[in-house]
Amino acid sequence: MVLNSTRFGLVDYVEQDVMTFADGLVGFPDFTQFVVICPKEGSQFRWLQSVEDSNLAFLTTVPFQYVADYSPVISSKTAKGLGLTEDNQPLVFVTVSIPRGRPEDMTLNLAGPIIVNPVTRWGRQVILENDSYSIRHRAFSESIVASVAVAA
Amino acid sequence: MLVLTRKVHQSIMIGEDIEVVVLEVRGEQVRIGIRAHKGVAVHRKEVFDQIKLVNTESADVRPEDLPA
Repeated sequence: MVLNSTRFGLVDYVEQDVMTFADGLVGFPDFTQFVVICPKEGSQFRWLQSVEDSNLAFLTTVPFQYVADYSPVISSKTAKGLGLTEDNQPLVFVTVSIPRGRPEDMTLNLAGPIIVNPVTRWGRQVILENDSYSIRHRAFSESIVASVAVAA
Repeated sequence: MLVLTRKVHQSIMIGEDIEVVVLEVRGEQVRIGIRAHKGVAVHRKEVFDQIKLVNTESADVRPEDLPA
């Protein structure tokens, strides 16, 4: 199958590539089918491209490379709903915000991780109940930002 | 908006299977219990709104702004 995406042009995919979010992402309940697009080989980023809306793609990343001890607690209700078990651990993504022209100010939403069952490819965006994780976690520490500024 | 008056331990049914119970009223704070099947997501509105906002931001990122 092929979808014509606004950002990436024609995207070839097969049914097994499609992830299904029964509830959509928070604020986007009408879009439930996504394919993952890697911007380039070795990139830490993943775009979740909507199959239903060619213009809709969420930028995400795997959080652990920025926050090594990130450990969101997934409720048993959510785990059960997604068909997760001890032997079938989820893939975890978080959405990424980057202000225009300011990649050094990139932030991650650690409070609303996207959880995907790698076997069934069912996913859900979970809102964590405790306040231990930030909705706007800075990806780069101030010192790195300073060195970026000096380099520029 | 539908407005109902309830006392502590009284509840409201929304449809067949969502129950909202007033558990405790203390000064300006109200504790509310929600009983719903597992397909229903229940969130504090201000948190929901913030997550919706950052989701929107992530969909607005320009590919050329990705750090190397």
